[in-house]
Amino acid sequence: MPKIKPRIPMGEQPPMERITNFNSVPYGYTEDQAVEEAARCIQCKKPRCEPACPVTIGIKEMNLLIAERKFKEAYLLVKEDNAFPACSGRVCPQEKQCEGACILEKFDQPIAIGKLEAFIADWGRTHKVEVEEIKANNEDKHIAIVGSGPAGLACAAECRRYGYAVTIYETLHKAGGVLVYGIPEFRLPKAIVEKEIEHLEEMGVKIELNHTVGQNIYYYELVSQNDAVFLAMGAGAPKFMGIPGENPMDNVYSSNEFLIRANLMKAYKFPEWDTPINCGNKVAVIGAGNVAMDAARTAKRLGANEVHIIYRRTKEQAPARKEELHHALEEGIIFHELVNPIKFHGDDDGFIDYMELTRMELVEGEDGRISPKPIEGSTFYMECDTVIEALGTVPNRLFLDRAPDIERDDRGVIIIDENHMTSVEGTFAGGDASSGAATVIKALGEGKRAARAIHAYISTHDTSHRQEVQRVEV
Amino acid sequence: MSFDITKMIDLDTMDFLVDVEAPEIVERFHPGQFVMLMTRKEGERIPMSVMKAENGKLTMFIRKLGKTSKELRDGMTRFENVIGPLGHGIEEKVYGNVVVVSDAVCGQAENYAICEALSKIEGNRITSIQTFPSKKEIYPEDYLTTELVDKHIITTEDGSFGEEGSYIVPLQKMIDEGEEIDFVFGGGKLPTMKAVSTVLAKNNIDNLFTTRQMMVDGSGMCGACRLYIDGEMKLACVDGPMFDSRKVNWDKAIKRYHMFKKKEKEANDYYEAHKGGCGQCQK
Ligand SMILES: Cc1cc2nc3c(=O)[nH]c(=O)nc-3n(C[C@H](O)[C@H](O)[C@H](O)COP(=O)(O)OP(=O)(O)OC[C@H]3O[C@@H](n4cnc5c(N)ncnc54)[C@H](O)[C@@H]3O)c2cc1C
Ligand code: FES
Repeated sequence: MPKIKPRIPMGEQPPMERITNFNSVPYGYTEDQAVEEAARCIQCKKPRCEPACPVTIGIKEMNLLIAERKFKEAYLLVKEDNAFPACSGRVCPQEKQCEGACILEKFDQPIAIGKLEAFIADWGRTHKVEVEEIKANNEDKHIAIVGSGPAGLACAAECRRYGYAVTIYETLHKAGGVLVYGIPEFRLPKAIVEKEIEHLEEMGVKIELNHTVGQNIYYYELVSQNDAVFLAMGAGAPKFMGIPGENPMDNVYSSNEFLIRANLMKAYKFPEWDTPINCGNKVAVIGAGNVAMDAARTAKRLGANEVHIIYRRTKEQAPARKEELHHALEEGIIFHELVNPIKFHGDDDGFIDYMELTRMELVEGEDGRISPKPIEGSTFYMECDTVIEALGTVPNRLFLDRAPDIERDDRGVIIIDENHMTSVEGTFAGGDASSGAATVIKALGEGKRAARAIHAYISTHDTSHRQEVQRVEV
Repeated sequence: MSFDITKMIDLDTMDFLVDVEAPEIVERFHPGQFVMLMTRKEGERIPMSVMKAENGKLTMFIRKLGKTSKELRDGMTRFENVIGPLGHGIEEKVYGNVVVVSDAVCGQAENYAICEALSKIEGNRITSIQTFPSKKEIYPEDYLTTELVDKHIITTEDGSFGEEGSYIVPLQKMIDEGEEIDFVFGGGKLPTMKAVSTVLAKNNIDNLFTTRQMMVDGSGMCGACRLYIDGEMKLACVDGPMFDSRKVNWDKAIKRYHMFKKKEKEANDYYEAHKGGCGQCQK
């Protein structure tokens, strides 16, 4: 076996210290650390990491440039394929993508591609590297983008490069989508997202906050006033278990509510900030994805003594990023596998008191799929004073109800063709809105690809004739 | 955008009337809809009823409880943010014999907006019943619905003016006297809404009441405002804010209203301790 130099470890806040604050857990590589880590790259002839990247960043060359301390060049290279590397470097499930494909993964020491990506993004931002941007002037053509999450932002950046007049409509009072309302500060510092968005505005992208398309501005208006529309509303509506006792019981939250309060509304700074959050001492988080980990780790930081993850499958099957799960366990979060809540019990004031759960086993169904099934007679109880349901999210029907022309499947996921166009000519979609809940990098990639499709469409069609759509209002 | 406060009137011992510049919202507003208000950057997104939306200004009643009203009293001149209009408005059509009832600050605002809209439509006969705690809390004439409606009734909870009791008392009387009521709109305190819902159910009267739910985003993303209508989960912000009172699970809604009671006190105390500018708190 060849001798493999181990990965350069990332400095991190120690677990017991970081659960008392919301600051970033990793400190980030120093220049020297980054150089050393990048130099571990063996520069494969046919790099396996690049095709495994949803936006095919030139990873091999990035590593080489960093190793040679050509940071500016490395930054420009990454920016070419990814407008928001500081975000994706921190939140991508690298173990399933680039790092999972890295040849050194065989020795359990893949190149820390995500950390290098974040390093180079931070370097470029702090050194104010100018990226050559707007390539043409097409400002007589207007593009409306619905939603300012990664898909919307990436599409806006790319459309602006083609010179179009771009306006993003965002329902919340802050742009960024899940990057600002969902993913917590300790994983993705909001100042970084803000900088990226500021930069977009400097490029000339207009962002109309507090504009809910389908509510205080209508889809048909966007269609009639723009040459193309891009739908990037995400899949941001919560799911609930729908078990007895839930109907709304106090201190039972959707992960969305819990995280919006904590992140967007900064409830962790209450009462200095006005939005409250009740986070008790014994918190149960249902689910084991990224969202569940974020909620659990947030609860810990809000002062909960015990935080329990309740998952109906096994720990190995948890869909969360590996690093997330690892960080959560380090922080003392208790993982219960193969269990599922079946009933919530409240106290006299309507607050959650304890849960009734059942144990689960993995059973192979007739179709060969292995799924968790309740074990009869295995009911048990667990006290808790806060429950967070992190069961995944679905598309928000607010928009869909008022845009009946847009074809969607029965889950509300918008149907698109290979050019990201929806059933309405001139209206495109991308990100979670057209894929169902997925990842930041997929949304970034789709936003960019859609922008290219929009550019191709506008360049070859007379967009002054617009498809008629129904005028549905509230 | 600047959400300047252009008028602030101390209405009585309980509420302020506030005018805020928000032309974009005014242009699209329908009676029954609501807005969300952030007083400052660090503010909460507070759902607010709207009394009037005209000349580029929104008029709202704000209760002198809690932190927001203290900020107002302490000289706030603009809001950080006003968001809306949100939710569904009422259908502006001929209902026939309509009764509009209210017994709290938010309800009074909706009452006004609804009466004003329906009074413009030929064929509606409107009775408005407005309930106040006592005589001294009754709004000045200009802010009551007296001039808009065919019949205006005031009740007070302590009987110091008009009939004693809630709006249910005169409503029940109308029913008992055999008056045909085609529709009831209402809003205000949750327990009264719960009580009136049984009266309306018994007499089979169609109605829409504004359920007062806590909200965070106001656009269907968080589920904080969820309530159960005929056993089915609905969101007050997207599907409401008005629902048929007969179908609402009021007990759940009432309990939920108190979820952040302790926190409210904390916020108040914090504000009181930090507003002075003495710097003591910074140490
Ligand atoms: C808590 C949490 C943690 C996550 N962690 C990770 C992770 O570690 N790694 C990863 O890769 N992925 C993660 N994800 C998934 C990832 O965030 C999403 O896949 C990604 O954000 C999708 O991007 P988007 O642009 O499609 O949608 P979103 O980011 O959801 O943005 C949609 C935007 O549209 C706005 N909007 C919605 N409806 C309207 C309307 N009608 N009018 C105007 N605006 C509207 C919303 O307010 C929102 O700002 C996480 C998700 C959550 C919730
Ligand atoms: S306020 Fe969040 S869903 Fe209604």
